[in-house]
Formats: sequence, structure tokens, C-alpha cells
Amino acid sequence: MPRRPNSSRQTRALLGTFLEQSGTWRHGYDLSKETGLRSGTLYPLLMRLSEQGLLEQRWQEAERPGLPPRHVYRLTAAGLALAREQELAAVAAERAGVLA
Amino acid sequence: MKTGRWRQWAAKLAQHSAGVMPGARSPWAEAMRRELDYICDDPAALRWALGCVLASYRTRLAYWSSFSFRITWRYAATSGVLMLLIGLALQDHAGGQTQPPRPALDATVCDPLGVLPENHPGLRCCTAGGRRNVDAPDRREFHQPSAGTQPIVPRLDCADPLTPQISDTMRGR
Repeated sequence: MPRRPNSSRQTRALLGTFLEQSGTWRHGYDLSKETGLRSGTLYPLLMRLSEQGLLEQRWQEAERPGLPPRHVYRLTAAGLALAREQELAAVAAERAGVLA
Repeated sequence: MKTGRWRQWAAKLAQHSAGVMPGARSPWAEAMRRELDYICDDPAALRWALGCVLASYRTRLAYWSSFSFRITWRYAATSGVLMLLIGLALQDHAGGQTQPPRPALDATVCDPLGVLPENHPGLRCCTAGGRRNVDAPDRREFHQPSAGTQPIVPRLDCADPLTPQISDTMRGR
């Protein structure tokens, strides 16, 4: 049976992090610290989610002078829906595990 | 190792990862590289840069595999379509033909003048050089050079219908 897309532990962790502050633009390094994912894992995930239309990105000017603009990310409506769906599924699975 | 050197290595690695990343993904490589400027801790910056290199190679490999799959698929599809077209064209061209094509002139059998050596061993050089019977030219007979008793009568029954010029000439039309 083929695995559902975007159902890996890393992807779920990333989507969950985005969902905590939905609508907020997030930096790559902050996401890495929050999810515990290294850049080698995080950026391929971000690229894939972006290709699937689940994530939007833009360049944000630096708050402090002398620093370059940063790439920032946030979930699209489709991405938010997927993140909520996965969260509900995770909660349901947790409850089922407790009941069993 | 001094901390400044770690930062230099990190910058070099990030630059390398930007070179490895496929062209279409260069904004992502730039995004990873610029994050380095926001990481104050040098060892953390080096770890970040190593991750950038890993991400770039992963992306590159994925890009190659998808690219080669596309190319292979295109080659296979094009070859298949061409073979199908060639097969259909051959089938149309050979429509209903069940026997091999007949040769235009069966030279081994047809001997209209009856001068082949196997038919007339007395003749030499296999030419139709016999003298016409001048006494009766309308009889279309030839005298054998060896002055034999049998005149050479052209055999007109084996003239090939596919070569009407020869047949007409031989029939005197």
C-alpha cells in the first residue's frame, strides 16, 4: 500500500509548527530550531511543500541594517487545511491508542 | 580551530551548495546561504552550511532522476510511435500480397531466339548472329553458322508480358 504524501514525521512536525502560528511568516533558521530539523532535511521539505502549493514564500527585508533579505514562509489555505487534517488525524490516533 | 575559520568554511560550503543546486532552485540556495548571516554561533553556522550542501545534493539527485526519467520516457514513446507508423505503412504497402514479387524477366528460362548454348550446343558465343534466311525473310528463320539442318526459330511463347517492347518486337508488330 503506498504511503500517503506528506505524512512523514518530519513533514508533520513542520506542518504542526506552521499551524501553531498560522498566518505568520517564518524564517528557515527559526523553523529549524523549533522543529529540530537540520537544514539538510528542512529545505527539501520546504521546496516540496512549496511545489505542491501548500506553502508560499517571499523575501523579507532585514529588520537590522547591513543584513541581507531573508526568505520567509507560511502555509497557504491548502497547506493550512492539510495541517489541520493531519493534526485531527494525529489526535484521533492518540485517542484510539489510549482507549485500546 | 578559530571561530573565524569556522565561519569561513561555512561560507564556502554555502557557496558550494548554491553551485550544486539546479538553476531553477537557485532562490532556495540563496535563501539557505543568507540564513547564515543570521546565525551568530559559528559552529551552528557550519552545521547549517553542511545541511545546505546535503539539501543541495538531495535536490540535485532528485532533479537528475526526474530528468532522466522524462528523457527515457520520451525516447521510448517516440520509438514506439515510429515503429507503429513504420509497421502500419508496411502493412498498407504490402496490402493483400501473399507471394513474393515476380521478376521482370526470367532470364534463365526465357530463350526467345533459342540460341542459348544449353539449347543448341553447336552454337558458339551465344549470340543471335545467325544469318537471316534471305530467300524467305518473312519466315523469320535463322541459319545456324554450322549450317546444320535445323533452322533456328524464335520462340515467342516465353516472351515476358511485363516487357512488352521485347514481346512486340519479337512478334513483329
